[in-house]
Amino acid sequence: MIRLHHVCKVFESGPMRLPALSDISFSVDKGEFVVLTGASGAGKTTLLRLLYADERATEGEIEVAGFDVRALRRSDVPMLRRSLGIVFQDAKLLSGRTVFENIAFVLRVLGTPRREITPKAFQALKAVGLSSRAQAYPAQLSQGEAQRAALARAIVKSPALLLADEPTGNLDEAMAGEILDLIKDIGSRGTTVLLATHQVRLAAQLKRRTLKLGAGVLLKDEG
Amino acid sequence: MLSFIVSEAFVDLRRAGRVGVSAILLITLSLTALGGFWLLSLNLGRAVSQWRDRVRVVVFLREEPTGSALGDLIRRVEGLPGVQRVRYVSKSQALQSLRQSLGAQAGVLEQLPRNPLPASVEVTPDEDATTPEATRELTARLSALPEVEDVQGGAEWVEGLARWQRLFEIMGLGVGAVLALAAILTVTTATTLVLHVRRAETEIMRLVGASEAVIRFPQLLQGMVQGLLGAVVALALLEIAYAIGAPRLEPLLNLTLGLARAVFLSLPQILLLIAGGAGLGALGGLLARGRATA
Repeated sequence: MIRLHHVCKVFESGPMRLPALSDISFSVDKGEFVVLTGASGAGKTTLLRLLYADERATEGEIEVAGFDVRALRRSDVPMLRRSLGIVFQDAKLLSGRTVFENIAFVLRVLGTPRREITPKAFQALKAVGLSSRAQAYPAQLSQGEAQRAALARAIVKSPALLLADEPTGNLDEAMAGEILDLIKDIGSRGTTVLLATHQVRLAAQLKRRTLKLGAGVLLKDEG
Repeated sequence: MLSFIVSEAFVDLRRAGRVGVSAILLITLSLTALGGFWLLSLNLGRAVSQWRDRVRVVVFLREEPTGSALGDLIRRVEGLPGVQRVRYVSKSQALQSLRQSLGAQAGVLEQLPRNPLPASVEVTPDEDATTPEATRELTARLSALPEVEDVQGGAEWVEGLARWQRLFEIMGLGVGAVLALAAILTVTTATTLVLHVRRAETEIMRLVGASEAVIRFPQLLQGMVQGLLGAVVALALLEIAYAIGAPRLEPLLNLTLGLARAVFLSLPQILLLIAGGAGLGALGGLLARGRATA
């Protein structure tokens, strides 16, 4: 599902060259659940951004869901992203729309037939245990509920790969545990998961394969 | 997908608020100015074409020719380049015509000791010879004939009218262009504001894999809808102005330009104006996209 081969990323700002990732190589099989750990600034977010083509790698090969990401033309990036579900630390819900409308928005944007939108959106909300809050606005949700809604939005289009960038970063331990359980549940249904977190204890609790990044270098691949 | 694009465009239009309304008003002003000058030019154009058909050169003769001299003169005039038709008007025919023109006052003519009117030849230039230069050349050739006392008529004043028509066209285009530029900038501003308001939506759309067309079309459509609304209001204003003004102006137009009635824009011209409005709006939407991307 994911294959990185000697990937480097250097940010350039005028004469300054800031290496963010150096010689990263690993692969993730279909249906696998992998945790990406490392301190803040280790390069986790940059690595995920390379995977969904928000940044271009400076060197190396990247293959995601059958797409050669480095060779991908800008116009083909949407095709890659349709096979991905992405969640962030910030839920990024649209404030003027209800939870249901936030989920349905994704389906409408992707041209899902109208009759399929409501059942699919409610199915996703049910999967994250948020059916009863469908008509609530983001401002009326707790942080845990907002993150559940973000998860529902990520899985509503049945992605092959879920990329989660610090999804529990803003949550207390109990809420974080609930969100991780949901992500594990999504993984157990066949979706490949790459979860980035700086919370070492949380990562250890998951008992899954763990990739550890430090200063842009892959330090460990274990489990 | 189409329903999504259309509904997002209308949501954006509502979000544009007062700036969106200003954009519509500027498009209305621009197209009203353009359409107003177009109407003036259109009607002047009709008058010009009508008067071009009526251009005549009148050749006054020193003496009334008789018999073969008349036939010889007519043949020589007909042989000149640029002459389409020739009609001889004798002294008595000229007097008869004057009598008819004077109507009730025709009695004054009875006081004259003799017919003072000269015989003349009325020359109709052919279509290519109705320009001022061509009629000037024709007048010079006719003046050179030994039987000719004076030559009158020509296309100068018709050309004056044509110059006014061109002036109205240029003024319409100039004023319309300035207002159109302002309208495009206002649509651009309205759309840019909306793009800032909806940047969260755009980010989500990109993340979930929406195509660029789906992201861009609502802005394009928003601009087009503003343009269409502006064009429809402009046409309504022009139609109202025409309905009120035309019946009042027609007697004056008839007297001065010989136009029996003022016409409104034809269906293709109306459609062109509407398409122009939609085009202005769409251009504003596209420029906003570029500005926001930059």
